[in-house]
Amino acid sequence: MEQFFTITSLSECAVLVSFGNQIDSILNERVMDLHRLVNTNPFAGFIESVPAYASLAIFYDTRLVDQQKGNHLTAFDYVKSLLERWSEQQDFVAPPAPARIIDVPVLYDGEDLTYVADINQLSVQEVISLHTAGSYRVYMIGFLPGFAYMGSVDQRIASPRRQTHRTLVPPGSVGIAGLQTGIYPIASPGGWQLIGRTPKMVFDKSKDMPCFFQPGDCVRFYSIDEIEFSRCNEY
Amino acid sequence: MSIEIRKAGLLTLLVAGERTGFRQLGIGPSGAMDSFAMRVANFLVGNDASAAVLEMHPPLPEIIFQKATMISLTGTGFEAMVNEEQLPLWKPVVIGENACLQFKSKSSGRAYLAARGGWKAESWLSSQSTHLGVHAGGYFGRALKKGDVLETNNKEHLGHETKIFPWGISSVELDKVYSPQTLIRCVPGVEFNWLSDHGKKTLESASFTITGKSNRMGFRLVGEPISMMQQIELVSSPVDFGTVQRLPDGNLIILMADHQTTGGYPRIASVIKADLPKLAQLGPSDNITFMMIGLAEAERLFLSREKILAEIKAGCREQLNKYLAK
Repeated sequence: MEQFFTITSLSECAVLVSFGNQIDSILNERVMDLHRLVNTNPFAGFIESVPAYASLAIFYDTRLVDQQKGNHLTAFDYVKSLLERWSEQQDFVAPPAPARIIDVPVLYDGEDLTYVADINQLSVQEVISLHTAGSYRVYMIGFLPGFAYMGSVDQRIASPRRQTHRTLVPPGSVGIAGLQTGIYPIASPGGWQLIGRTPKMVFDKSKDMPCFFQPGDCVRFYSIDEIEFSRCNEY
Repeated sequence: MSIEIRKAGLLTLLVAGERTGFRQLGIGPSGAMDSFAMRVANFLVGNDASAAVLEMHPPLPEIIFQKATMISLTGTGFEAMVNEEQLPLWKPVVIGENACLQFKSKSSGRAYLAARGGWKAESWLSSQSTHLGVHAGGYFGRALKKGDVLETNNKEHLGHETKIFPWGISSVELDKVYSPQTLIRCVPGVEFNWLSDHGKKTLESASFTITGKSNRMGFRLVGEPISMMQQIELVSSPVDFGTVQRLPDGNLIILMADHQTTGGYPRIASVIKADLPKLAQLGPSDNITFMMIGLAEAERLFLSREKILAEIKAGCREQLNKYLAK
């Protein structure tokens, strides 16, 4: 069977399974499929796996894997052969789990909204219309606790990252970087173009499940005014 | 048993066993910068490896012991004094009631202070390690300040006087971990082959300086720029403690204990786990050189380090049982 991924070591305690280097929902579905598979059938020593756009890191306890590696030279070789054997049995393209659809209110008053409109030769209203028209896949969570990388935005509102990072972006800020869109879950330095803010808390450390989004979610934005923002402000 | 922070120091925070299982939510393992020093500090006083300890960055704090407390101090680059008398490091000691613990520190090096029973700490997502980004875990999710009081989980009575126990970790044992201090061994990273031949040569032969823009998240290096065969944009992908990323200007960053879970820069190398403790003991203006080794050797070094730690743990238990039974 044709192998459509590569396996390299990320460190001596993790492998990286790479399906490509693109933002593509089919590749990401394969990542999520392998992520589900390894979590439902963990090998002895498995610790956790981390899905990203087109790659999955699998962390393991090298001591435990070493004890069962048999004829393999290294713990890495053992994990690699295990994953290759799985790929012969199934192709990681099982039907995706049904996505949760999440509607997120946004007050479009971001400091970079005019910039995003200007570089794309659009009006502010057109940027808002295009951003709210799409439905976005949560490809992965990374960068910050609970930061969901979503995509892809309409080409017509794609925007490069800022030349200079802001030292502090407030939580709830909605931004665009390239074809990606996302919400800052906590206050952080950041380089995305800020187009608005949501009154919804997308990260709450007091909850058992502190992050609002999960990979695979389907997110849609809708525009609200300041009165509505104050009414449902959770911050 | 409790202590009061009289001077805060640069960054004095509770670290504990790693927060595993949450990388997929963008929440990294946190934990100690130098996990060898942190675990040994715990073993010396009879704790489990994951008990909460204080990690202290120079300039180090000043601490008052309100009650006699059994502790151990580990790490490098500092001297400790109790009531102005020098205190041995890498050994269990009882610090007497009302004694003041002070330090003389160099510019780099990190110190670890473990207490028998472990320091009382908040748990967040199954770990007591402080997560500075979301202000959770450890001591109210933050670094300790002047006037803060920290308690231990230990109720044993240990007398009132300062006492030094007759065992500890030898300098021979420590040299195996911490020297030669500036030679950092790596395995090739996921995008190692994106480097040009010249870039690979530079990585292995040049010396790099840790800059002031370094912290628990990462060490930024300056040195001869590392050249690539071609500039390829990488979509965000997972990283780990020790991942060496090449920035667009050709300089490097080594991800440390509070690293992000994913990143978009090429991962050209990965510092071997066995050398992370000595790297963690370095700081701004220190120079390092990299040496590439194979993955099989890196695994072997990792396993042998874990074995040494298990032996230290067993040895400490035995000594403590003998001594405390008296």
